[in-house]
Amino acid sequence: MSHFLLMVAYAALVSTFFSLLWRSEPRARVKLFLQMFLAMVLGAIVLGWLMFPFPSGPPGPVP
Amino acid sequence: MSRKKPKASAKTSEPEAKTSAAPPPRSGPVLGERETWLAMGLAWLLPGAGHLYLGRKARALAFCALVFATLILGVLLDGELVWQLRGSPLRALATLGTLGGGLPVLVLRFALHYAGDVTAAGFEYGKSFILTAGLMNVLLVLDAFDIAKGRKS
Repeated sequence: MSHFLLMVAYAALVSTFFSLLWRSEPRARVKLFLQMFLAMVLGAIVLGWLMFPFPSGPPGPVP
Repeated sequence: MSRKKPKASAKTSEPEAKTSAAPPPRSGPVLGERETWLAMGLAWLLPGAGHLYLGRKARALAFCALVFATLILGVLLDGELVWQLRGSPLRALATLGTLGGGLPVLVLRFALHYAGDVTAAGFEYGKSFILTAGLMNVLLVLDAFDIAKGRKS
């Protein structure tokens, strides 16, 4: 699995867990799930874009 | 420039203090100490077992499935099962978090001798999944305590 799919799976599992743990009404559960899931996935994508100009290692060999 | 406290506010703050000191409303039957500890122990031992003991079957099934799905995904990724209590404080914390997974983690560690594969691509990702499963179960133990004490329906 790609890193993105793993991140989506992780976000889905954690969001489902907390929406079941912290909310009792179905509508409130769906709302919290969407809030947490979108915050995690979109937040990671935004962070990824912000980190793009800062490479973590030395540049690769020029082909 | 000295300010005098109005008497009316002092009078009104008294009942407010009384209401704030009141215990939180009970939303379910309160179990005894022994049953509470049993529910918490079962919740730690097997994800969802504490809720099953407390009569929350649907909740137990959902939480059991979620924790096991997270743990199994971590193992399928060959993630690290952190097991180091000495040397590094952060790894000791991670070990305690992993131990929150209860019996499934102990079976993985001691019966199946699972430790993860450091050369696998999912070593770090899998570690996050396994650690998260343990921490989820710790929260389930606290949830079982709240239900047993009548603080949560």
